[in-house]
Amino acid sequence: MKLKKYLSLTRAGIIEQLQFRMSMLVIVLGNLLYLTVVYFLWKAIYASSGTDVVNGMTFSDTLIYLVLATALFNFMEMYTVWQMGRSIQSGAIILDLIKPMNPRSYLFWTYSGNFVVNFFSTFLPTFIVVCIVTHGAVPLGTNLAYFVVSVVMAIMINYNIDFFVGTICIYTESIWGINIMKQVIVLLLSGATIPIAFFPEPFKSITMYLPFQSIYNAPLTLLLNGSPEMSDVGRILVTQFAWCVVTLVISRLFWKVSLKRITVNGG
Amino acid sequence: MAPIIELKNVTKEFKVLNRREGLKGSLRDLFSRDYKTVRAVDNISMSIEQGEIIGYLGPNGAGKSTTIKMMTGVLEPTSGEITVDGTVPYYNRAKNAQKIGVVFGQRSQLWWALPLVESFKLLKDIYMIEDKPYKDMLALYQSLVDIEPLLHKTVRQMSLGQRTLSDILAAFLHDPKIVFLDEPTIGLDVSMKSKIRTLIHALNKEKNTTVILTTHDMGDVDALCRRIAIIDKGKMLYDNDIEHLKGFFGSYRTLKIRTDGDHKIQAEAIRAELPDFSVSADDEWISVLVDEDRQKVIDVLGQLQKSYDIRDMQLNEISTEEVIRKIYEEGVQ
Amino acid sequence: MKRKGLGFYLRIYVKILAQDIKSKMSYRADFFISTIGMICTNIAGFITFWILFRNFPSISGWNYYEMLFLYGFSLISLTPVQCLFDNNWSLRSYVYSGDFIKYCFRPINLFFYFQSEVFDIKGLGQLAFGIGTLVFAWVKIGLAFTPLMLLKLIVFLITASLIMIALQNAASATCFWIQNSFYILDLAYRFRDFAKYPVTIFSPVFKFIFTFIVPIAFIAYYPSLVILRPDTVPVLSWLSPVIGVVFFWLSYKFWMYGALKYNGTGS
Repeated sequence: MKLKKYLSLTRAGIIEQLQFRMSMLVIVLGNLLYLTVVYFLWKAIYASSGTDVVNGMTFSDTLIYLVLATALFNFMEMYTVWQMGRSIQSGAIILDLIKPMNPRSYLFWTYSGNFVVNFFSTFLPTFIVVCIVTHGAVPLGTNLAYFVVSVVMAIMINYNIDFFVGTICIYTESIWGINIMKQVIVLLLSGATIPIAFFPEPFKSITMYLPFQSIYNAPLTLLLNGSPEMSDVGRILVTQFAWCVVTLVISRLFWKVSLKRITVNGG
Repeated sequence: MAPIIELKNVTKEFKVLNRREGLKGSLRDLFSRDYKTVRAVDNISMSIEQGEIIGYLGPNGAGKSTTIKMMTGVLEPTSGEITVDGTVPYYNRAKNAQKIGVVFGQRSQLWWALPLVESFKLLKDIYMIEDKPYKDMLALYQSLVDIEPLLHKTVRQMSLGQRTLSDILAAFLHDPKIVFLDEPTIGLDVSMKSKIRTLIHALNKEKNTTVILTTHDMGDVDALCRRIAIIDKGKMLYDNDIEHLKGFFGSYRTLKIRTDGDHKIQAEAIRAELPDFSVSADDEWISVLVDEDRQKVIDVLGQLQKSYDIRDMQLNEISTEEVIRKIYEEGVQ
Repeated sequence: MKRKGLGFYLRIYVKILAQDIKSKMSYRADFFISTIGMICTNIAGFITFWILFRNFPSISGWNYYEMLFLYGFSLISLTPVQCLFDNNWSLRSYVYSGDFIKYCFRPINLFFYFQSEVFDIKGLGQLAFGIGTLVFAWVKIGLAFTPLMLLKLIVFLITASLIMIALQNAASATCFWIQNSFYILDLAYRFRDFAKYPVTIFSPVFKFIFTFIVPIAFIAYYPSLVILRPDTVPVLSWLSPVIGVVFFWLSYKFWMYGALKYNGTGS
């Protein structure tokens, strides 16, 4: 029962998270407060622009996009780089290597409990609030199904990139520096801080050829479009899938090569 | 002379959460919580004179650390009174800190990235140590252990033993009246342990520093303490000289035998054969703690000789280790 | 016992600082990577800002250069909290592991001793960015440069810094009560991102909150009014230095109260 082994890690993760009662409250309230701030900020921005539609996005579109991007970010941020970096530096990585599971899966599934808790504590409330605030500007149809599939792939791409960057910590002590660079690049180029639709050319085209837009821009684009062309949906999902495979292969290879450094040098 | 440390009926209670089990339990905990009160230290009194080295012993979770935290001013007792050199530590934490030194097991209090000598210089400023006593202290350290190679190493680069040594030196640097050592020899090799014991002993003699030592290593106690205080489940079980304690067990002898075969397996068999006595085994010896009031050692030996091929034997007084173990297991009658 | 006054603490602080910088310099790769990370963060910040203003020429009547002024101002006022109070980020793990107790055995102020341990040199890079931006905006807006203006600028920068520090102290001190306080610290960190927008964009309720409860409006907005809108300076702007000191003092008290209370619960 391979799946059972993984799911018990998920369960342990949920129990662990639930112990922090106050922080659950803070997460829920903090998130709502944050939403409100984003709402006012963009309302003011749109109000001063004089038009309703900027770069093909209305105020509701932008709000939904950014708010859900933040919710997705909270949901997907696994602090993988920190965890890997610390465990490499302290030598605890050796303990992970002797577990009867590969470190990649172990790390992922240990954190998976947080996915469940975060989904109910941040993503779902955010989604509901946004639906209400924008008076049904979020289309509720087959796009939801595409969105879910897309988010699953986004999580995988994000994790692959995180794992790749975490592996760099085998070569350097600078976890902070490595992590901040990753975070900044991913957030900007994935369209998490500002929708990619706002990017000027040739910036916009460049981001389309990078894996990062598959993390935030892809699922959110699918979500916002109520009656999409099947060809568009197909193109986005296939691109995501391709990036899933590519990032997986690269991060695996890099880990395999780098691991020699640990096993040879003794950590 | 007034005692340097005085504890009067000190009690410390904590509120802890009763966690429920399983996923459902965790969900329920999220909404309703169930607390219970735990008494970590229960009505303890003792007084300690200047210059004493006292071994403060007890099994894990007995309340040792809590007591020490109260004496260092970090915790306030729920009831009772503590005075350290005339002041109440938890009302005057900073003032009390000037008069004490603390080493907390494996938690180094030195600056990780600094060479030891720079840490010392900072401590000199923080504790406002004058130049002369500072130099004298370093000279004293140099005469006791070879600190020269350590001084220019950062704490980060040190081995555990060197780090502990440095922490102890740092704790004594401002010539405090009292030094608290919480498991100072934990995890160290035999030679480092003995080096550290010698150092503590010498500093105590030289500076007449009061030392409160908690440890699980009876080697520390044998090497350093005349007086021990034993605490368990928050209550004081014993507080007096070790010799006095050993007196209680005057009729006990440790019979050690060496046989061919596997000591662990044979110890099992002997334990079944002699249910009255505690039996332990290591690679070198099988030890049987015999109470002569119940059965003469010579009879026990005769009995064992029938079933085992005894190569070598020793007969000892009861060791501190065994006394303490008996007290942990059975209490003091 | 001799009294330990300001001179005593200053002397110790300078010594610790000098030692810390010396030892940081010996980890050259780490220093280098962290600096690049810092530069990346700032560049990404500028790009976001630039993209935003390409799409929206002004926000609530504040034009590009004025907003740039606020941006630069908030970057500079971030420097002290980044450089001198960065250990706040580690407080949580010290408390969690029980290592926090090591700070309690010294005969000096607990707060001081804890904060003195880390000097984050990266913050200086941010300072350079901030100064560059501010000077650029200053010239573009065509502000006069007089000694009085400089004095005002310095006073209000200090004010803003105090508020930043107060926010972070208070946020990090919550870990004395809440086990997993990372989210609060993270929330505070994200909120200060909003410091660079004029508080007028918010509804009266939030304007009140951001002025008196989570006083991020004092980080850049109120102080900047003194320089940018000298004709219509509200009383709150003139009061901000006092408010800065008060908030800093409150956060210090809160921090110390938490530290003592934490020790009272043992562990």
